[in-house]
Amino acid sequence: MNELIPLMVIIPIIAALLISAFSKFNTISKILAFVVAICLPVIAIASNYGLHYFGGYEPILDNVTGITYHPAIVYSFTFLQQIFIAATGLLAFLVIFIYLAKYRKVSGPYLFLLFMGTASVTAMLLTDDIFHLFVFFEILALAQVGIVAASSIDYSYEMALKYMILGSIGSPIMLLGIGFLLALTGSVNITDIVYAVHNGLVDSKSPVFLISLGLIFFGWLYASGLPPFHTIKSGIYSKAEPHGAALLQSFTVISMISIVLIMFRIYSSLQIFEVLIVFFSILAMILGVSLALTQTDFRRMIGFLAVGELGFIGLGIGLGTQFSITAGLFQALNEIIITALLFIGFGAIVNATNEVDTRKLGGLLFYHPKVALMLLIGGLAMAGVPPLSGFQSKLMLVQASLNCGYPEISILAIMVSIATFVVFVKTYYSIFLKPKPKDLDVENKQVPKTMIFAMAILLIIVVLFGVYPDVVTNGISNFVGGIL
Amino acid sequence: MAQTQLAVLFTSTALIIIGLYSAIFIDNIIKKIIGISFIEEGVNLFIVAIGYKSGGIVPILMPGMDASWFSSNSAYPLPFGLVLTSIVIGASTLAVMLAFVMVLYKRYGTLSTKVMLADTSKKEEYDE
Amino acid sequence: MLDFVLMIIIVLSAILALIQKDLLKTAILTGFSGGALAVLFQILLAPDVALTQAIVGAAIIPIFIALAVKKTQRSDS
Repeated sequence: MNELIPLMVIIPIIAALLISAFSKFNTISKILAFVVAICLPVIAIASNYGLHYFGGYEPILDNVTGITYHPAIVYSFTFLQQIFIAATGLLAFLVIFIYLAKYRKVSGPYLFLLFMGTASVTAMLLTDDIFHLFVFFEILALAQVGIVAASSIDYSYEMALKYMILGSIGSPIMLLGIGFLLALTGSVNITDIVYAVHNGLVDSKSPVFLISLGLIFFGWLYASGLPPFHTIKSGIYSKAEPHGAALLQSFTVISMISIVLIMFRIYSSLQIFEVLIVFFSILAMILGVSLALTQTDFRRMIGFLAVGELGFIGLGIGLGTQFSITAGLFQALNEIIITALLFIGFGAIVNATNEVDTRKLGGLLFYHPKVALMLLIGGLAMAGVPPLSGFQSKLMLVQASLNCGYPEISILAIMVSIATFVVFVKTYYSIFLKPKPKDLDVENKQVPKTMIFAMAILLIIVVLFGVYPDVVTNGISNFVGGIL
Repeated sequence: MAQTQLAVLFTSTALIIIGLYSAIFIDNIIKKIIGISFIEEGVNLFIVAIGYKSGGIVPILMPGMDASWFSSNSAYPLPFGLVLTSIVIGASTLAVMLAFVMVLYKRYGTLSTKVMLADTSKKEEYDE
Repeated sequence: MLDFVLMIIIVLSAILALIQKDLLKTAILTGFSGGALAVLFQILLAPDVALTQAIVGAAIIPIFIALAVKKTQRSDS
């Protein structure tokens, strides 16, 4: 059923508009939000693979030059898109479920932002048109800012405005890069651009091509929160509501991989491209972990760890072989799920104690044993302990860097994993195991059942991917073989 | 004239540099936001200049025009379509940022970025 | 000839807007820059873009800025 491909983007957008318009009627908007949220992962799983040409404009073959042109926006839907859209859809469903159960009176604009963000990352994954990607990139930035500003945490407005100012510098620069590519090739369709670059229609040594790489790369750094944007990215995670942060980090990961895959297809002939990606990824890994070690606010700590994990994804893609890119994409999928688990779990702690400073917490193991157990497994998965999913992807990354002849990188990756483990155990100890401080009040506060349910579902996926990684890696490997 | 296209490229570069300068170095938040809108305008101008053809015609196919003559003489319309979207995105981003500024002004009573957007972790320590 | 004059107007009014002490004048000068840009788009054979830019750049953006200035403070200090 190829007709379902555009519906993956259209349904959340229509739902967002309807809920925002009918937010006066509380029950209707709750039911609508719940039904659409359930549909999100189901559509992705039910749809068939294929291409969708908007407006029915099929590619045109130029008889004189023998080149095929794509006159309209094209969505391509393969296994990679399916698995990532299903993961985001599932996460969006869990987040919306937590939100609906938490508040009696739901806010239409907030649900609008959640659905709009989900729709835009879906479109970014599906699209084969670089300007279309840019438009949804901007919508996503606005949705992220809105999700941060809607939280009740102190100084969330300041953080949102700061993120937005940085974003409005970053995205025109990316648009300038797209403009350079358009000037070189006369097209915004990525397949056409790739054809032009790989068949010598564009001089890949020309400075204009290099400048366009630099500008789009800058936009990518901003979108994915790699250095120099790591501080602001972890800042927005810590200022959003915990369930919002769980969704925000999945938006970051997906915008990162969708832009980097496009850049990889266009610029893979340039040597400097892979060097740049590996350099910034290693920087992100080291900075993320070392900054996480110094934090006392545990939301901020998870934010920095999430940025450090992004470095692993970039590393896999930067190494540039089929195996390493598969490992990087598998790591991206794992990170979406594991980091969401950690954000929701620590959010449950914030819910129960109203305290985010690790120095003032302690002894929560006896009050919330279920949350403690699930968080422990999530943290171990992030650090890469067998038989969980983080272990499989990190093992693949280490093997990939050894195969490419960079043992230094594999040693570094192992060291960063160990450091991640240390950071996590330190925070875990001070929250759950340390004797309870006298002035901490934890009586009579229950963790919402929906949060436990969401964590359990995510945990099942983590264990499943850890035991049967082949379910995903084979399909991703086929996809990667197609773009190399 | 190719002169026009070159001059337009210079203008767009100048706008981008003015915008970047003000977005990074000017302390007043409203001027910072105006600088950001100048960056956007510069980029839009650059993309329109890509599609421009010196001595060409407006890319609208009127009845009675020969299609092959039209295609060799008209400007390239694809960049124009992109710029339309980009202008609207820029305006909406600007509006959202100004709304944030209005809210934050009530809290701080100043438009200075140094006060308004200072490092939040320091502010939290100060509160304690 | 007109195009060069317009380009000078765009750059000059952008610089002048940013060095004003009165933020309301900044808003008006931003409108000048946007309006001149709209005419330049017309010369660059993009009438549709020119129409949009004339509305957005010469009217909507200055009005937004002026409203924000009215709600906050007028002097830059």
